[in-house]
Amino acid sequence: MTKYTAAEIRRQVERFLPKVLKPSRYLGTEWNAIQKDWHKTDVHMAFAFPDVYEVGMSHLGTRILYHLVNSYPEFLCERVFTPWVDMEATMREKNIPLYALESFQPLQAFDVVGFTLQYEMSYTNILNMLDLAGIPLRTEERGAEDPWIIAGGPCAFNPEPLVGFIDFFLLGESEEQLPEVLGLIAEQKKNPLPRQDFLRRVAQVQGVYVPDFYHVNYKPDGRIEKIEAESGVPVVVEKAIVQDLDQAFFPTNPVVPYLEIVHDRMMLEVMRGCSRGCRFCQAGMIYRPVRERSLETLLKQTEELVRSTGYDEIALTSLSSGDYSCIQPVIEKILEKHGDEGVGISLPSLRVDSFDVELAESVQKTRKSGLTFAPEAGTQRLRDVINKGVTEENLLNAAEAAFKKGWSTIKLYFMVGLPTETQEDIDGIIDLAKKVANLGTKLGRRNITITISTSIFVPKAHTPFQWEPQEAKASVELKQRYLKENLRDRRFKYNYHDVKTSYLEAVFAKGDRRLAPLLEWAFKHGARFDGWSDQFCEEVWINAFKELGIDPHFYANRAMDYDDILPWDHLESGVAKQFLVEEHHRALQEAKTIDCRHNVCTGCGICPGRGVQIELKG
Amino acid sequence: MRLRIAYTKVEDAKYIAHLDLTRVFERAIRRAGITMSYTEGFNQRPKISFGFALAVGTEGEREYVDIDIQREMDLGEALARIQEQLPPGIRLLQGRVLTQGAKPLMAVLNAASYRMRVLMALPILPERLQEGIGAWLAREHVTLSRFTKRGPTEKDIRPWVKRLEGEIHGDEIIFELEVEMGNAGSVRPEEVLVSLRELENLPLDLEALHIKRTGVHVSYQGENTSPLEHDGFVQLAEQS
Ligand code: SF4
Repeated sequence: MTKYTAAEIRRQVERFLPKVLKPSRYLGTEWNAIQKDWHKTDVHMAFAFPDVYEVGMSHLGTRILYHLVNSYPEFLCERVFTPWVDMEATMREKNIPLYALESFQPLQAFDVVGFTLQYEMSYTNILNMLDLAGIPLRTEERGAEDPWIIAGGPCAFNPEPLVGFIDFFLLGESEEQLPEVLGLIAEQKKNPLPRQDFLRRVAQVQGVYVPDFYHVNYKPDGRIEKIEAESGVPVVVEKAIVQDLDQAFFPTNPVVPYLEIVHDRMMLEVMRGCSRGCRFCQAGMIYRPVRERSLETLLKQTEELVRSTGYDEIALTSLSSGDYSCIQPVIEKILEKHGDEGVGISLPSLRVDSFDVELAESVQKTRKSGLTFAPEAGTQRLRDVINKGVTEENLLNAAEAAFKKGWSTIKLYFMVGLPTETQEDIDGIIDLAKKVANLGTKLGRRNITITISTSIFVPKAHTPFQWEPQEAKASVELKQRYLKENLRDRRFKYNYHDVKTSYLEAVFAKGDRRLAPLLEWAFKHGARFDGWSDQFCEEVWINAFKELGIDPHFYANRAMDYDDILPWDHLESGVAKQFLVEEHHRALQEAKTIDCRHNVCTGCGICPGRGVQIELKG
Repeated sequence: MRLRIAYTKVEDAKYIAHLDLTRVFERAIRRAGITMSYTEGFNQRPKISFGFALAVGTEGEREYVDIDIQREMDLGEALARIQEQLPPGIRLLQGRVLTQGAKPLMAVLNAASYRMRVLMALPILPERLQEGIGAWLAREHVTLSRFTKRGPTEKDIRPWVKRLEGEIHGDEIIFELEVEMGNAGSVRPEEVLVSLRELENLPLDLEALHIKRTGVHVSYQGENTSPLEHDGFVQLAEQS
């Protein structure tokens, strides 16, 4: 690829920008975007989100890290997203390399390109972005001129399918860890060490995983024989944790996009972590322990956010904001202060059992958007298996309150294919939906819409269900068809996830490094935007498995043993494997485990010895 | 208090889609600490309205917006505070306070002028250019087929064109175009150039076309006026 300067790229891109869809995706001139002087900064980082702009800009972590890195005078951080297919085609046709939004500098000119791994189905986009940037895909093909390619985010807790493309991974919370890594890169620029020596150095930073130093052997049947760490690097890499969330960096001058993004509003992170312990939930395990921000901090941040963005809506985000111990006062205070300016509140993660219809009423200005409940399973038995502490009574009470307050649209989220699931549990979904609908009718609501959405259970690393297989595609499809036939009532709307993509997600979620060539093959044969149903092409993947002789069932549909070595056993979320084993046992016994946020520790192992603890502010 | 403001939409701001422009102004005004008026009802929207949409990528040298704010304030101060919060490329030029019952922009605007810079694919003689333009203007009908969602349709673009002039500068031609606009539609400037190329055989390189809307007007009996001068106003402030 020709070497272009930023000015040349800009000139070329401007020629066709009016012709691509949503050109504002490709310009870094939004309000609050940071234009730093390239020549006055020591380390240049491109923060790469492997999906389109509207999705990437809606992600809070991306925003935090962008502003965090830029808060250091010696570092520069710019953004890059996956160009949509029309833009990609034009860039390839005109031979224009992928560039970062703010400066139009080609990615190749940066010292670091950091990808965030939010979902497995974005992996081919990572390869596509490297390729569009003219950066060799494989670590061993890259030279000193090429940027370091790093990655973090939830999927970094099993990043094995990406081993070979990424130089090193960052596990856990990056607020302290990433600047430390960038500091090492600054030194490396001044006094370059050989690649291996630098990597060994960076491997000393909390949560940094350099896959080169870990060697995996396999048994004849394909299972892992052993994972061995070289000397001088941690045998087990443990995630980084922010100890004092209340004082941790939080940007109150976030970029305000011109085009409408998925979550187009201010975001206030009220707490991190969730202690409810749903057994399928990876986020609930890897972001432990629960740490809350104080009321004062949040009010101060809200004030600054309103002044600097001009948004009229603020989302109180976390894994389960209804659990935040000061939720009531924070809502009251925000509305008291900013309600007159037309600022409203949204609570994206309300749960039935922490759900208070009064609360929802105080935040929702209109009743149009409906209320969302996530019972996840159709029967009490199965809800006990997954440790979802919601009863039918909870749900019906909440629904009744909602109907009485004037809502007529209710959304119910379930999963199919959960461990131990039977026909009874599927019937339970229908039953519950009918009960909710009938309740609404009985209360005299007209035009009731009950939206039932089912996703497909994908076993995830570092959860109590990590040993579980995903249910076979064919039987999941039967269940979906059954639900569709039995939710025919005019009051119901049934949505369900695509089996094919959930299956691939399971393959990569439980995958190992032998899948890297598969990713590369699929990408070279056209796979990208696999998470987008209009772009996903199953055939490419079927061919990829066939061509490379890889059996997807081995990954997605095989139950693993407790004494199997898991592909991510050398990576540690802080939650002890023994705890996960016990939780898995309890699941099979249909035994619930209590929430540890109120006084009783259930022994997951994260708190002791790490200087962290459950931190409530209310 | 209802304000009518003239502004530019140039440089990178030309990529902001018309649909997104309301949000851009709304957020700027909120950052400026000025309270807007809202529509009544379920889905409250701020009272901000524009004239005819400008295509993405086309610069506007003088566009207009009407904004309702809740409290009376000095016009100059309002403009200055809003200006501070607007992205580069959107510059407020002039503003007026509208009187009660003043007609909205969409009801008074009915013409627009454009300047277009086009590279010549092959050299064109000045006489040849004038001849081509003359011949095009002399046509009674200029039919263009367009592809819409409902399939191909034909439309006559000639009636919309009020003025078309062109002059050669080096290797490019600068066209000045004035068109009528209305609720019934209008003509897009590039459509005029496409038909000029096809019908009059002028070798224009339309790949790298540079279009600027130089103004939108209230046109009455052949006379163009600005919507700022059009209705009953009480105050006028210039932005420097
Ligand atoms: S160690 Fe105990 S208190 Fe801390 S998160 Fe785990 S279960 Fe909860």
